[in-house]
Amino acid sequence: MKLLTHNLLCSNVRGLRPGGGFPLRIQASDVCVRPVPFNAAFVARLVPRLRWAALLEAAESLGHPSELPPEPAPDYEGDETFLRRVHHVLLEVEVLEGFLQCPDSGRQFPISRGIPNMLLSEEEA
Amino acid sequence: MAAAAGRYFCTAGRGLEPFLAREVRARLGATEVDCVSGKVFFSTEAAPGELRKLKSGERLFLLLKKHTPLAVSRNKGKMLHDIKSLFIEEPKYWQDVISTWRNLHGCEGKKDDVFQENPSPLKRKSEETDTATKRQKTEQARETVPEECQAEAGEGCVVPEDCQTESETSLEDSAKNSGEKAIVNEQLNFSFRVSCRCSGAIAKVLTSQEIGRAVGVALMKQCGWRADLRDPDLEIFLHLNDVHSVVGIPLFRLPLANREYIKTAGLRSTIAWAMASLAEISAGAFVLDPMCGLGTILLEAAKEWPVTCYWGADVSDSQLEGADVNIRTAGLMDKIELLKASVKAVPLPSESFDAVISDIPFGKKFKITKDIQILPDILQEMERVLRVGGTVVLLLSHDLHKRMDSITKCAEHDSPDAISDGTSETTTAKALHADRNSSSLVNGVEEFFLSSRQTCFESLVLDGVYGVSLGKTDAFIYKYKKISTAGNQ
Repeated sequence: MKLLTHNLLCSNVRGLRPGGGFPLRIQASDVCVRPVPFNAAFVARLVPRLRWAALLEAAESLGHPSELPPEPAPDYEGDETFLRRVHHVLLEVEVLEGFLQCPDSGRQFPISRGIPNMLLSEEEA
Repeated sequence: MAAAAGRYFCTAGRGLEPFLAREVRARLGATEVDCVSGKVFFSTEAAPGELRKLKSGERLFLLLKKHTPLAVSRNKGKMLHDIKSLFIEEPKYWQDVISTWRNLHGCEGKKDDVFQENPSPLKRKSEETDTATKRQKTEQARETVPEECQAEAGEGCVVPEDCQTESETSLEDSAKNSGEKAIVNEQLNFSFRVSCRCSGAIAKVLTSQEIGRAVGVALMKQCGWRADLRDPDLEIFLHLNDVHSVVGIPLFRLPLANREYIKTAGLRSTIAWAMASLAEISAGAFVLDPMCGLGTILLEAAKEWPVTCYWGADVSDSQLEGADVNIRTAGLMDKIELLKASVKAVPLPSESFDAVISDIPFGKKFKITKDIQILPDILQEMERVLRVGGTVVLLLSHDLHKRMDSITKCAEHDSPDAISDGTSETTTAKALHADRNSSSLVNGVEEFFLSSRQTCFESLVLDGVYGVSLGKTDAFIYKYKKISTAGNQ
């Protein structure tokens, strides 16, 4: 699971407040960093789609302090250093084993071999 | 035809011809594109490396001849004569053909130059070998042809060539023999095979086997080539039906549909590509397949449109495992992420995806009766995660297709932009309510969701339906666009 995916994932346990179940807390037991070719234009397109605070928090929780600013600067498209940092955190850091935890219900979702299991039982859904 | 441009044709699964026609124009800058059932004819100056990149076709051929259908008579001899006359040419004609084919074929990496191969001392009495070769040819033809006929019987068979490959494999032993006995007589050192497919009126008079043999003998006499069904240097493809008589030479040994980057294909690669091609995937887009199976659609999409983020979800561990292996084999770990999740409860935010593409498997692999009931749930989730302006592309079995029509007709009722045929909307809407009632009887819990769903799909506007063949069954590719319904609510 890349942090790009984490930035989207939300728990949909029944009965959460609107917009709840996000961001999932990460408890990782195995994290790897795999180099991915950098494409500045591509990363620049991703930035406006990100939920920034959740990304910063996730990176911190994995022990990958991102050196990212609290918010993207207005002219980030031309800032290669910034884009490379985003690229690294978003696409190169991967959680292989661990858990995701719903911030509202406390429900845990295991991550196994890099694949988060978000499946809910009939009662939970 | 310009000197540099070649005239080709490519076979396609039923329903994929328009996709292929569009692809040859877009990818190869093809001109004189002519689309018939099962084939697309075109001219292009593109090099073989480019030709090989075609994704929606099956097999690509250099076109030698294309004539009107042969006049059918009850006189077999006359018909065979007419067919053979398609192949009677000046020696220079075949020399030119071989040289053109060699130029194209050379790029495939098959280095062995047939005119120089076998410098071995394997000379034997030609009489003995001749007989052996002939006998072999007849035997093999006997075994090969019924498969061909079978493929032809259902005119639109998606991959007739597959049948051939199977029969070739089963002939391995005998072919080894023929290899050993092969001679290097200069008359017989270029090997060929005739693959004949025959359908329509002509198939009632002659079998593919009879035609194949006659053409084979004629070419042996005329060009002095050696017949080799197992591993020929050259394959001559002849297709006779009520539309045309076509002669061609396949450019590549393997069908285009065989993707070297797909380890285990779930859905047929050509259809997966065609679906992705409808999804309007742009750079930086977010694309989801919420029932990804082995990930074939995602693989096809990510190979073609790589500057994009793809997610695949499935409920089955074994499918996800297979998808994971496929993604790694294809080297697409950068592009595709997997989740274990249900399509009925996608753990992703609303309006976050630019495209949702999926093969809805129910009715093919599973029993429809119960599963078909969840189609509205599936659609609801797809509609939810899709942004306004985004695209949904679905592959539906025949039964689901009927069900889908009833659901979306209801939506069209409310949507001013929808394509509507204007017939019996009330009736289908009623039928839909009846369905809902019966499903809520089955499961009372669902009732709430069902009733709250009445107005759900009005934002999904039908943007095209394409009938395709999955081999034994038919299926339909549906494309929807999500429109803003803010004004209506």
